[in-house]
Amino acid sequence: METAYIVTGYRSAVGKAPRGSLRFVRPDDLAVAVIRHLLAQVPELEKERIDDVIVGNATPEAEQGLNIGRMVSLMGLDTDKVPGMTVNRYCASGLESIAIATAKIQSGMADCILAGGVESMSPIPFGGWRIVPNAKVAKAHEDWYWGMGLTAEEVARRYRVSREEQDLFGLNSHQKAIAAIEAGKFKDQIVPIEVEEIWVDEGKKKKKSYLFDTDEGPRKGSSPEALARLRPVFDAKGSVTAGNASQTSDGAAFVLVMSERMVHSLGLKPRARLASYHVVGLEPAIMGVGPIYAIPKALEKAGKKLQDVHLIELNEAFASQSLAIQKELGLDPQTLNVNGGAIALGHPLGCTGAKLTVQIMHELEARNQTTGLVTMCVGTGQGAAGVIERIAS
Amino acid sequence: MTAKSRHIRKAAVLGSGVMGSQIACHLANIGVEVLLLDILPRELTDEDRAKGWTETSKAWRNKIVQHHFEAAKKLKPAPLYHSGFADRIRIGNFEDDLPLVAEADWIIEAVIERRDIKLKVYESIEKHRKPGTLVSTNTSGIPINSLLEGRSEDFKRHFLGTHFFNPPRYLKLLEIIPSKETAPEVQEFFMEYGRKFLGKDTVACPDTPAFIANRIGVFSIMHLFHLVQELGLTVEQVDKLTGPVIGRPKSATFRTADVVGLDTLINVAQGLAGHLQGSEEAKVFALPPFLEHMQAQGWLGQKSGQGFYKKVKDSDGGSQIHALDLKALAYRPSERVKFASLEAAKPMEDLRERMRFLLSAKDEAGNFYRKSTFALLHYAAGRIPESAEACYKIDQALKAGFGWQLGPFELWDALGMERVLEGVEKEGLRLPDWVSQMHKEGAKSFYRLKNNKKEYWDIHQKAYAEIPGQEAFLLLENLEEHRLVWKNKGCSLYDIGDGVLNLAFHTKMNSIGSEVLQGLQHSIDVAEKEGWNGLVIANEGEQFSAGANLALILMLAIEQEWDELSFAVQAFQKSTMRVRYSDIPVVVAPHGLTLGGGCELCLHADAVVAAAETYIGLVEVGVGLIPGGGGTKEFALRASDAYREGGIRTNVLRERFLTMGQAKVATSAKEAFDLGIFVEGRDQIAWHGDRRIALAKQKVLQLHEAGYTRPIPRKDITVLGQEGLGIVYAGANAMKAGHYISEHDQVISEKLGYVMCGGDLSQAQQVDEQYLLDLEREAFLSLLSTKATLERIQHMLKTGKPLRN
Repeated sequence: METAYIVTGYRSAVGKAPRGSLRFVRPDDLAVAVIRHLLAQVPELEKERIDDVIVGNATPEAEQGLNIGRMVSLMGLDTDKVPGMTVNRYCASGLESIAIATAKIQSGMADCILAGGVESMSPIPFGGWRIVPNAKVAKAHEDWYWGMGLTAEEVARRYRVSREEQDLFGLNSHQKAIAAIEAGKFKDQIVPIEVEEIWVDEGKKKKKSYLFDTDEGPRKGSSPEALARLRPVFDAKGSVTAGNASQTSDGAAFVLVMSERMVHSLGLKPRARLASYHVVGLEPAIMGVGPIYAIPKALEKAGKKLQDVHLIELNEAFASQSLAIQKELGLDPQTLNVNGGAIALGHPLGCTGAKLTVQIMHELEARNQTTGLVTMCVGTGQGAAGVIERIAS
Repeated sequence: MTAKSRHIRKAAVLGSGVMGSQIACHLANIGVEVLLLDILPRELTDEDRAKGWTETSKAWRNKIVQHHFEAAKKLKPAPLYHSGFADRIRIGNFEDDLPLVAEADWIIEAVIERRDIKLKVYESIEKHRKPGTLVSTNTSGIPINSLLEGRSEDFKRHFLGTHFFNPPRYLKLLEIIPSKETAPEVQEFFMEYGRKFLGKDTVACPDTPAFIANRIGVFSIMHLFHLVQELGLTVEQVDKLTGPVIGRPKSATFRTADVVGLDTLINVAQGLAGHLQGSEEAKVFALPPFLEHMQAQGWLGQKSGQGFYKKVKDSDGGSQIHALDLKALAYRPSERVKFASLEAAKPMEDLRERMRFLLSAKDEAGNFYRKSTFALLHYAAGRIPESAEACYKIDQALKAGFGWQLGPFELWDALGMERVLEGVEKEGLRLPDWVSQMHKEGAKSFYRLKNNKKEYWDIHQKAYAEIPGQEAFLLLENLEEHRLVWKNKGCSLYDIGDGVLNLAFHTKMNSIGSEVLQGLQHSIDVAEKEGWNGLVIANEGEQFSAGANLALILMLAIEQEWDELSFAVQAFQKSTMRVRYSDIPVVVAPHGLTLGGGCELCLHADAVVAAAETYIGLVEVGVGLIPGGGGTKEFALRASDAYREGGIRTNVLRERFLTMGQAKVATSAKEAFDLGIFVEGRDQIAWHGDRRIALAKQKVLQLHEAGYTRPIPRKDITVLGQEGLGIVYAGANAMKAGHYISEHDQVISEKLGYVMCGGDLSQAQQVDEQYLLDLEREAFLSLLSTKATLERIQHMLKTGKPLRN
């Protein structure tokens, strides 16, 4: 079996949706900006040698429709020879696309694939523009079409996660993220995005341009008291608030996956590899705890134990599900989301898996550690986990 | 310029306090662009600096006006008809923006009640104001003639008092007080503008102390304050005695004082005491000891957290109302009040009958009523001709400004001339000569009807004269008997002239039962057969209609009379459909509460002419039902009409669904357009609610003249079937899981959605109205067979409030 390496990876900073800095950048343009930056760092690679572009996206319609994967390959690579596809596994899409790229290369179907994800939640409502559930299914299975917030409440109930714990977890996420940004930890992984805004003000057309290069989700100066005052958003009697749930976001992240033989022939130094990947299904009402089942399987496939894992990026869809997983599996808080998670940094659905992969690659390098775990819950009752192994140079 | 050639496009309101801000809002309501100004803050505070403001920052310079305006926007009930109207108001400050008053057609000064400050404001206005621009002051106590000093001729000619009452959107009185220099054209303009555009009852007042409404209204309050002590009554007792039972607002006397603010009341009373110094009446305006004490303590009512009442938090987090003991001047838990005569008066629907009864009651309450009423009537009579040259002005002012259902002279007429004369005398009071003169002339009442117009006793001519300004109004109560065409127990059909009929309900809360339905069908039959030009449906009383007669529905449901129920619902549907499908135009003119079935009538009209203050909605869900008189069908039809090629139909449907599913009620006629109940281009608003019947009649005639043809029944209503049903079910599941709706709400939502989707059709298709009406009726009846719905209806009938079960 051919070995598949991650040569390198980058991400955009994450914008708040729907009124953040990236709202003026279309998702296709955003993905292209990240890909162009990434390829500029690998000048050895001729673009036409890329076999495929796989773009994870959780709402592939409107601005993200028309097979955005193909649009990105066409717009971003200055050639029409490289194909592209869109992959949707909701919040695991970005990781799924890296897994597909890895598997194709391992099986010999390809040598070089750009994989990652993009999501612009600013222009598109959650779930898409036209939601048409199956009436019979809706009647027979009340929870199958639930919004994610309700599943977070269900997890909080079943796993007995209190409001206070959730708020504290959220606050902690913001504090870690602020510290990371202030320490410049994300600088090297972020692709600055040029943003242009054109509007009319009192009858006059105006234009302004700026560079967006810092995650804008994290808030300074929040407090347990302020968080305690927030009202529940999804359940009148619930505990999930805007302060302990992930933010809606805009963002893109990509990695370059390459076969060992091509890495050698181009004389590149790979940074990491996806050592294993596993997805599970479970009851939709508690989709949030999917990682409880996905993590052990992914570790097993990689031949690792939990103690072997140095760093974990667990997508903080909600504090309730993050805490339930942490408690259930006994995850070490010292290794978990060390630079903050989605509650602070944002959760651009289809991008998240790739974004967390990029983040963990950098942090493993910074700490000179080797084994990382990227994991997330996935809508409608799924969970995904992948083991990332750093390749020391 | 003449009164008719004046137009108000822009207005400037100077002073953004409680009145200024709200007056600005009300002008915005009727489509005027408003400039709202106030003073600069005194100094830059640390807090201001922390915001990065300096003395040149616009935000700091407009801090006061901004603060006041924001507070006004948050007031309940809302001063704006529509939150979006706030954009019609531009804020600024006296220092920077005063030159902008040059653009205003009307400048309203509403600054603090101090003559010196007002004079200064006028001086600065004069520097920028264009000649011919109207200027008015909103004062409640400063004589208008004392404000002319130093002003130009042009200013003085265009200056007068325009006294609004708080809250200006809701209280209908606008006192117009010309100075001795005001041009007649200007007064004439405001009398008409106030009525037609601001929707107010305009009353021209001479420049006498406190003008008309406050002079007598505050007398009535102050007299009560003294009387309370004399009779040893409690705050709660007086509020019980002086509330709805005698046709006064629910907040009665003391709670009204708390709401308005004791400082305001004291201000007017002291002003009057000053003006009237030495006279007998000045004694009444002197503050009783408890009021002085409250003033000293700063217990000024709602604004200071305590007045005659105080909300007290109890140990388990709830709150309790405490009332002030007027003797001990300490608060104690508020007590329930009972008077035998009040209990006995309860079943009397007619206010006049009730008043006659109460004034002859033998108990403490009767004694109180005699003392307070005869003193009031005596005082009101004494104000003619000083404060008002005619009785109708006093009645109009108190009804519109204080929310009384009967003015003093109307009450007098209700009680009977002889009885009042006797009563007043017994109280040791002496009526002015003109009353005995009138009595001698053989006039037994202050008012009478003649030629469908209301006349009043004119003390100068010593004869009856027509009340001016009635042309614009068409009041059913002024119609003479021969105009009654037909009548049953629930409604009456009137000839309102020019070949137009008016059907009016007169059931309790104007609810719709079998008599009203019969009346609807009969009226349209008559109109068609006898060749009338059309029909107006408009009611008098406080509301248009509270909806279908729930008591009847409940009774039939409990007795499981399903055939009869089905028949009744069908009759309702047939009636609303008859409103839509007839050979004559039918215009509905709602006002006040217009709920459920009342709303469904509007939905099916050829046009609606609604009073600006119309609170309309399909609220059936609140009693466990869905709109069953064609309302659900009509909303499905209107959703279908809004579907566009390539558009997302489920979103359109969802909006309609939620309007009914959440039982939304518009808080103004304007908002009813947003809710999709009224239709742009078809329906219109009467700013002055009492003009609605006259305007509706015009609308009927206009539709008739344009060539009215019976509409062709609709067969092209697109329903979504299962395409829409999925989102209905999924949405209801989520709302239920999130504890936003109860299990029964979920049942109702699903039924409502089912009807709107046309059932579980495989795909979207076109259907006719009857198909949807049948689904609607089926759902309605099936809900009536649930226990939870019956509990909701029972609860509503008992408490007047919806039950969430």
